This record gives sequence, structure tokens and C-alpha cells, in this order.
Amino acid sequence: MSETMVQRPPDAERRASPNAPGARIPPGLDLIPHRTLVEHTVDAWLPLRPGDRARVSPGDAVTLGAPLAERLRLPKIVEVPARFGGRPGERWARTVASGASSNRRDPHPAGELLFESNGRWRIVAAEHHDIIESPLAGIVREVRPGIGLSIRAAGAALGGVLALGDPTHGRLEIATDADGELRPRSLDVGSAGAILVVGARIDAEALTRARAMGIRGIIVATLPGKDRRDFLASEGRQRAGLHRLPPFGVVVLHGSQRRPIASAAMGLLQRLAGKEVAILGGPPSVVFDPAGVVLEPDPPGTVHVRSGPLAGRTGRWAGLAGPRRFPGGLHLEAGFVRFGDEWPVPIPLADLERLV
Amino acid sequence: MTDDPKAFFALDLGTATTSAALVGRVAGRWRLLGALSLPAGVGLDSLLATIVARFATVDPELADDLGIEATAEAATAWPRLTARSTAPTTLAVIAATERGLEPLVRAAERTGWRVRPAAAERLDPLAMTSILLDHEVTAVLLGASTPPSGDERGSLGELAALVAAAAFRRPELTILLAGGMVEQAPRFEATGERVSGVLRAPAATAGSPPGAPLRELLHRARAGRDESRLSFSRGIAALADALDRKVEGIELGIDGAVRVHATPRHGDVEGTVHAATLATAGLVPLEPDEATVDRVLGWSTVRLDRHRMRDRLRDLRLMPWGDTAGDGAPFRLAAARAAVARLVAGTPEISALPPPDLLVVSGGAWAVAPGPAVALAVSDVVRRAAACQLAWDHARLVAPIGTIEDEAERVAVVADLADDLLLPLGSVVMPQGMRPGRAGGRLVVHGPATAAELELVPGGLELVDLPPGERAVAEFQFKDPVRLGTRGRHFAVEVAGGLGGLLVDLRDVPLRLPDRPDRRRELLSAWQHALWAGMDG
Repeated sequence: MSETMVQRPPDAERRASPNAPGARIPPGLDLIPHRTLVEHTVDAWLPLRPGDRARVSPGDAVTLGAPLAERLRLPKIVEVPARFGGRPGERWARTVASGASSNRRDPHPAGELLFESNGRWRIVAAEHHDIIESPLAGIVREVRPGIGLSIRAAGAALGGVLALGDPTHGRLEIATDADGELRPRSLDVGSAGAILVVGARIDAEALTRARAMGIRGIIVATLPGKDRRDFLASEGRQRAGLHRLPPFGVVVLHGSQRRPIASAAMGLLQRLAGKEVAILGGPPSVVFDPAGVVLEPDPPGTVHVRSGPLAGRTGRWAGLAGPRRFPGGLHLEAGFVRFGDEWPVPIPLADLERLV
Repeated sequence: MTDDPKAFFALDLGTATTSAALVGRVAGRWRLLGALSLPAGVGLDSLLATIVARFATVDPELADDLGIEATAEAATAWPRLTARSTAPTTLAVIAATERGLEPLVRAAERTGWRVRPAAAERLDPLAMTSILLDHEVTAVLLGASTPPSGDERGSLGELAALVAAAAFRRPELTILLAGGMVEQAPRFEATGERVSGVLRAPAATAGSPPGAPLRELLHRARAGRDESRLSFSRGIAALADALDRKVEGIELGIDGAVRVHATPRHGDVEGTVHAATLATAGLVPLEPDEATVDRVLGWSTVRLDRHRMRDRLRDLRLMPWGDTAGDGAPFRLAAARAAVARLVAGTPEISALPPPDLLVVSGGAWAVAPGPAVALAVSDVVRRAAACQLAWDHARLVAPIGTIEDEAERVAVVADLADDLLLPLGSVVMPQGMRPGRAGGRLVVHGPATAAELELVPGGLELVDLPPGERAVAEFQFKDPVRLGTRGRHFAVEVAGGLGGLLVDLRDVPLRLPDRPDRRRELLSAWQHALWAGMDG
């Protein structure tokens, strides 16, 4: 990679004190894609399946842990005569429909209307259900039976690229540094109830052990595909069991190949240590209460390296370098970036990002 | 376009790549003045201002003549032709039987939709409802043959009731009823206040060629007129008319790919356009499956295990432009080869058409590799016993030009810009049927500045230096009869130069690679090194 090549910056750039407050930002910064580090408006989407029963309505205020919906276990289709009207998606109860008193042995006393054909309603019902709890506080915006519900979170969110498991919440703990890796034997039962920040990567064994120890969630930079697959298989087996563990979620911040947590994200997570946060699946994110958390914007001219050999580092924009030759015989649009007091190095624009 | 502009921007706003080109009127014709492609998410006005500033620095006199001022404010005011990629959305394709489902899926897959097929004979109503209520599904194609076959007839009513119930719960769903299902339309008209319409479509086997009317409707239901893959097809058709040649276009993006074959208009005889857009042929599928990983591994010159390859593909999807230097570009070309191979395999009807005179490649996937390497990558997977010229839509102009409403104006703009918008990669001559293990014959190339003579060795890839802009005649004398358009031993082919020169591709058609991974990587690497200057540097 070209970061090892010493590039002489323009004279004016060398003479300027690059880190001085108010220093002029060289042009070209807008050619770097920008991303929002912290979203201040978060609409959490929790999918529902046909038959799941929402226990909230639009406009309801929900608190952390409040029951949102009943999720059917092993749903089945039941046919009943279409004598009572009704519309698809509405609830149905045998006592209401037939006027008969409740039969204690009836395994399907209630359900959701799917569709009506040939004078009979198909209804989805189940003997047992689980409660979906709210992983965050907020206002219910939309409830669509069989499709999902949306909650406007009372908080801000740090975005990820992937979430696995269930929405969950817990106290944030930093378990390793940004480039660290958490081994299964390093997990501590004292972290039960916490959401751990585990650095660059984690394997499936550590994830399953964390869930078994009562840890509520993991925030990690990358998760290799093999560990993702193994964890999902374990999660599937766990879901099939009658004895359910508390919800456990994983948020992957950057991707699949090992790299450290980006310095801006790590800085934010360090400031959140000890606070209650939530993990969401849709969108994949870590939701937190911004009150009391200093969310300082990047100083003007700050750029972050998001890919390539210097991924995770933060530097200062030192101007466009134009098309430059990089290893592999490629000519790519590049920019100069200064890390600390070092000479600026050219980096492909595509490997950089700005956080706004 | 506005009346009589002196310059305009052509923008191709893709899912992964933002491309902009500055086109100006010079000496009475349109010329390409500058272009730049960067990852999506950059400030568009800054991108345009950078192009303008570079042009004004390089040729201040012409910039002055055109009234071009190198300021961002001035740049943003100029006319723009904009083509946009729309991320594929999901279409649930529903039929009573697997037999009825197959032609519907075949039509839908060629129109850029992500398809979720479901046959009532295989899935229970709960699973079917779950598919329809999934918020990623934005439209439903519910079809039956015309008239409904015996095995369909019994379940049409129940199936229509199920879909109508889902449509009642999701009024935003677009519903398309095809063939025998059109009779069930009254069920949907009684399903409350629909936001999207209920469209009546012809059967999947209706029309000539079969399925064409349904595909046309599905194309329209998916995307607007400025959708880049539709406008790319129109741009290729305009190119065929302007050059009076058969042109094939392949546009490869992160979320899908389009293949177009166009023949020119001759007098009153309309030209033909065959196009197919495949969401499954994007550079990296949403979730790379085993087959995708295998195919990319098959083209990779880097030794990777399956898990690492899958991780790399997932990260490529997340950051299509990231980590390009070093072995990132050959990795992208391996993924691009696998994607184009999927596109070619998914469009047999276009492969069956007469070979094109010119093959144009476009899309962000090619933007990070040198031209000759792109020529080789395309030759590896688009294999026809013919001679063909290769070119690269390097400034991503074809799709924006395709958004011009008036066909005559479109052809006129393409005719002006043809020399600028196509970067010649070279010519490929690909005979089929050479016998391995023996001398294949001789090739003599005659050109104004080029003369070459070489032995033809079956299984090899011969390169003749033929610079862009130069034309030559390649005379082949094969020892045994081969197929090269027609069957014969002696051929004289007019070839055009390019960045990769003349590629005489004596490898198998279709290409057969060694089964042993190390031997295959060695061979691919040797071919690639010959056409990728500075690859190790």
C-alpha cells in the first residue's frame, strides 16, 4: 500500500501548522464520502409474523422492557366457518365467534384471521407464545399485524452493518481495546446482564458462551462468516428449546474481515461505558440516551480511514493528490492525509470517509 | 435537454458509484471534456466542480470559448442528463403449481427484480402469507396459464383469496395478475383502499418471443424512465444505429447487471433490441451462497479458503470501492468474471443471437482495473466463435444519453460522442474447434504501422500490439477447419486496435480450466500478468 511511500506535500502545506486551530482546510474534502456516526432519529423496526399479537398501539409510550407483542410458538392454520364476518389481520376468538363458553381443552381458542375462501376462514393460532419486550424506550409509531411494529426511540444510535439474535438491552462494558479479541475463557460471569464491546472480532464459541452466561449482547468490529453461521445454528437450536434464555443480540460494526473498531466509534463507546444501551436488529445499531454523553463533532478537516492497511485510523485532510499509482498497477483518485505530525501520505479517496 | 446548451453534465448515479462527465460543444459537435467516477456518497456538486476545474486548467482557451467558469456555482447550473440505478426490490412470484411458476419466474428474473417464488402445491398458506407480508416484498406477480390447466384450476380461487387478503393488509403492494389469474381480479377490487394498482398482465408464455409482453410490464412496474439499466439499453440501441453495427452491451453493477443486444436500423427496417436485467448477476449477491463463492474462487488468482473468500465478498458488497489497491483489483475482476458468467448463463436467448461486431462493457465494477485486464476478463467469460471489437464505456455516458427522450437526438448525440465515449480495449478473435497438441496454423497481421506474423498454438492466448485508433487485417491460415463466424481454414478479419491490442484467443470455447486449483491459479495469473502492466509493483 502506498502509505509507506514518502510523498512530499506542496510547500505551502509543509509550512502550515496542520493541527493549528482555524488552519485552512485544503480543497477536495467534499470528494470524500460522508457518513453519520450518530443518528439522532431512530425508528426501530421489530418484525411480526402472521398470528403474532401486538400489545401496543400507535402513539403509546413504551419503556425499556415493556411487553410489545406476543410471538406465537409453532403457529398452525385452523379452519373455522365464516359466519361472523371479520377482515384479514383481525383477531378472532372462539367464544366471540360462536357465542359458546370457553372450552378448556380447546388448544386454539384465539388467533388471527388470514384469509377466507369457500365459506371458511383460515386462522393462524398456537398453543404457546413468548413475550417480545421493548429493547428501548420510545413512542410506538406504527403497528401492522403480521408485518411489524415501529418505535421512534427516545435516544440516538451508533450504526452497524449487521445484527444477529434478538433486540436486547444492558449496561455497556468495554471488554477489550479497539483491536482486541475476546476468547471464550476470558468471559466473566460478572458481566451477566451487560453488553460487551469486544474489539476487532469474536468467534462463535465465545458468543454462545456469552449467551449462556447471561451476557445480553456483544458489540464487535467484525464477525467472520463461519462464526456467524455457527452462532446462528446455535441460536436456532436455542430457539427450538422450551426453556428460553434472556434475549441476546450481536451488533457488527464494520464487516467480516478482521479490523479494529474505528477510532471514532470506539471513542463514543468508551464514553458510553457503564450506561444502559440497546441493541437493535432493524436497523443494526446500538441505541443510547445521549443525555450526559459528550458528542463532539470531528474537528474540521478530520478524515477516517475505513479500509486498506490503515483502516481504523483518523487523520487530517491535507489536500487532493489527484490520480496516483498504487500497488497492483492501479491509478486511483487519492488525497493526502496527515496522521499526527507525520508527513502526509496519499490514500485512495475510496478508502476514506468523513463522519458528520 | 434544454435548447442549444454549450455544455452539459452526464450523470450516472449508481448504488455504489457516482460518475459524472462533462460534455461540451466543440467545432459543431459534442465532445467529452472530462469525467470522474468516485464512490457513491461524495458531494455531487464538488465532483462536478472538480471536473470543471481540471478541464479549465488543462485547456483554459477552450473553457473560455465554452463560457466555462471553474466555479462550483457555475457548474451546478448547467443542464444534466441523469441516469440512476435503483436498488432491486423484491417481487413475490406466486402460482398454483411448480409447472405454472417456472415461466413466471423466468420472465421476472430477466427484469431486474429480486424474485421470491412460491407455489401453492409446495408451501402451506401460512408460509405463503409470511412471504407476502414480508416488508421487503414490494410487488406480487400472481399467475396461471391461459386457460388454466387442470392441476391449477382447483386452487386458483383459494390462492387468489390468500393473495387478496395479504393485499388488503398491505395496500402499498403492487399486484400483477397474469394469464388465467386475471379472472380473479374482482377479488382485489374489493380489498379496501389500495395505494398501488392491480395490473392485468399477459400470460408468461404469451407474445413473441414468449414472455416479452409480461417482461415489458414488469420492467415498467420496477423502474422509471431514468433508471440506468433501461436507459443503458436505449443508449446501446442508439450506438448500434449511430455506428451501423451490431452492438452488445454489458453493464455490471453491485446490485444487478444488464445485457443488451442491438442491431441497427436499415432504411425502413427497424433495428432490434434484446435486453435482460438480472438482479442475481450483480457484482456480489446480497448473501453469497456456496455456488457464488465457488465461482469466484474459480477465477481468483489469490489463494484463499472458502470462508475467507466469502468474508471478502461480503466486505466487497459493504464497501465496493474499499481496499482496492494491491490484490483488491484482481479480486474484483474475479468477482466481475463470476458475475458476467452468471449474466451470460442467465441470458441464453441473447447468446443465441448473431455475434456482435462490438461489445461494450460498462459499470463501476470495471472502474478500478486497467483496460487490457478488463478486455481479458470479458474474453474469459463471453465466449463466442467470432471476431469482435471490445470497448469500455469509461466515462459512463451510455446510460445518461439513453435518458434523452427523442430517439433522433439520442442517436445524433451518440454519433458525435462515439469516439470519446468508447475507450477501445482491442479486438478479440476467438476460433472454435482447434485441435490441441498440434500446430494450429499461422497468423499474419497487416496494418499501416503494424506487421506481425505468428504461429497459432491451440490453447494459447496470443497478443499482437495494435494501438488504439489503428486498423489492420488479420489473415488466419488454420491447419484444420475451425469455426470463426463460419466454418473454414482461411479467414481475413478486419481488426481495430485498443489498449489490449489484438487478442488472438485460441483457448477452448467455452473456456475449460484445470481442475487443480494451484494449476488453475497459475494459468489465470499468467494470462492476467500479460495484460496487466505493473501488477506486481
